[in-house]
Amino acid sequence: MSAAFRLEMRRSRSLILWLAIIALAYGTFLAVFYPVFRDNYKLVDQYLSLFPKELMTAFGMEGSLADPGVFFSTYIGGMLWPILAAIAGIGMATRPSAGDLDRGFLELALSTPLSRVRYMAAAIGGQIVGMAVLAAATVAGIYAAGRIVAAPFDLVGFGLAGAVAWAFGCAIAAVGTLLSVATLNRGLSAGATAGVLIAMYLAAAIARIQPDLAWLGDLSAFRYFQATPIIDEGRFPWGDFSVFGVVAVAAWALSLWTFRRRDLAA
Amino acid sequence: MSMTNVIEAEGLTKWYGSRRGIVEVDFAVAEGEVFGFLGPNGAGKTTTIRLLLGFLRPSAGHAAIFGLDCWAASSTVHTRLAYVSSEPGYLGELTAGEQLDYLGALRGLPRGAWRPMAERLELDPTVHIRKLSHGNRQKIGVVHAFMGDEPLLLMDEPTSGLDPLMQREFLALVAEARAAGRTVFLSSHNLPEVERACDRVGIIREGRLANVSTVGQLLGEHWRSVNLVLEAPPTPGTFELPNVEVVAITGREVHLMVRGDVNPLLARIASLAVRDVAITTPDIEDIFLRLYSAPATQAPAEVTR
Repeated sequence: MSAAFRLEMRRSRSLILWLAIIALAYGTFLAVFYPVFRDNYKLVDQYLSLFPKELMTAFGMEGSLADPGVFFSTYIGGMLWPILAAIAGIGMATRPSAGDLDRGFLELALSTPLSRVRYMAAAIGGQIVGMAVLAAATVAGIYAAGRIVAAPFDLVGFGLAGAVAWAFGCAIAAVGTLLSVATLNRGLSAGATAGVLIAMYLAAAIARIQPDLAWLGDLSAFRYFQATPIIDEGRFPWGDFSVFGVVAVAAWALSLWTFRRRDLAA
Repeated sequence: MSMTNVIEAEGLTKWYGSRRGIVEVDFAVAEGEVFGFLGPNGAGKTTTIRLLLGFLRPSAGHAAIFGLDCWAASSTVHTRLAYVSSEPGYLGELTAGEQLDYLGALRGLPRGAWRPMAERLELDPTVHIRKLSHGNRQKIGVVHAFMGDEPLLLMDEPTSGLDPLMQREFLALVAEARAAGRTVFLSSHNLPEVERACDRVGIIREGRLANVSTVGQLLGEHWRSVNLVLEAPPTPGTFELPNVEVVAITGREVHLMVRGDVNPLLARIASLAVRDVAITTPDIEDIFLRLYSAPATQAPAEVTR
């Protein structure tokens, strides 16, 4: 393991640790209450039917909360995970290039025999590992607590959902990396990545509500992150996973290419 | 590329869009030489160093270190140099020792390679960097530069913030490096430091190299002031000598200016009955200020393309 990668992991560990604690705590808290939804699903469904269908759709509540897949999608897949993945992805993506250039660390590291490509590859490796740890913590929290309260959560289904969540997070980190390398401006690249994510969230919601604007959904990352069928049917969405994989690999490859060739000056 | 030149810059130019970085800078630094690089803020010192380190691609011209192109072969070039940044962004969450171990690992040095140098500079390696004073942070840079044995040291204002004792220690380290045959490129604001440490000095002004010469030449080609008090007033024409300009003769007191070879004047003084003599040599700071007070011949203050 290279010194650059070890340092990258060390620098990310606080961020990942705190986000993992939040994910574990939130997942545990929700799972503990899962039996309430399961045992009272008729009342809960009746209560939720009072809300406009569009509102429920916008928040990803499509089905009964007693259903493990809908439960996960509503509280984790459509709410917690995009926030955690965005924070972690943007933080880890914008620090090694724009952030470290601003603070003067980049010059120190790159004045050694460490090449630009190896430096950025170590940063990308850190993003991949960090996002995997976070996805695992997010799934582990809700699954483990669910098992304690006898929730019918399937390990394979939750694990597969975690894998897609990881790919989704990696795509965010990769796009953030590319923007950071291209602009060398941490604020701009972080803001742009967050802005695109919010726009895609809204696009996915609008596409579900307005059938004539359904095409908008195809432009949104959230369209390809559907945990419900994975958990309920155990069917791994290779196509959606590949979309995230292609975006992540392409953005990281372009980041490496750009970082190798561009001027490094604040 | 001469085999004896460690650094060579030919027509080195960098534009940031329409803003001037440096323009057609030419210089060479020989193996084993300590080369000072002087200039005020914004003159182009840091741009030059970034071009040498391969952080920037030249707009025109070429820079090479050990015969290798600084842009195309930067990683290979970096195996043979150690660099001190003027504003190093050390990681505050690490201790000085951890930071130096990390940078040492990237340079292929064993853990703790920094210890002898840290002890010499009285740097506490156990304190988190965020708690260190500016001067102590600067010590990390000096330790970083000298803890290995790379043949080239590239230093950008390495002593800013160091106390006078540490500045003296730094000069001793530079002298040791030179004695060991290492080459030093030293960018600095500290003119006495450059005067003491460097064999040659390049002065950059508004992106262009205004002067490159040895410290001796730089001092020697400038006027020195000579004040004499004689036993008796001199006869007319006594000081009509090569390289000598008579400023004033008031009775027995004589004020002269001399430049270049001083031997004819010294021989004349030796032939006279002298009560007192004072020769004032301009230091490099005087010369630097004089160069900067003269109008630029080629580059206006805000050059645009």
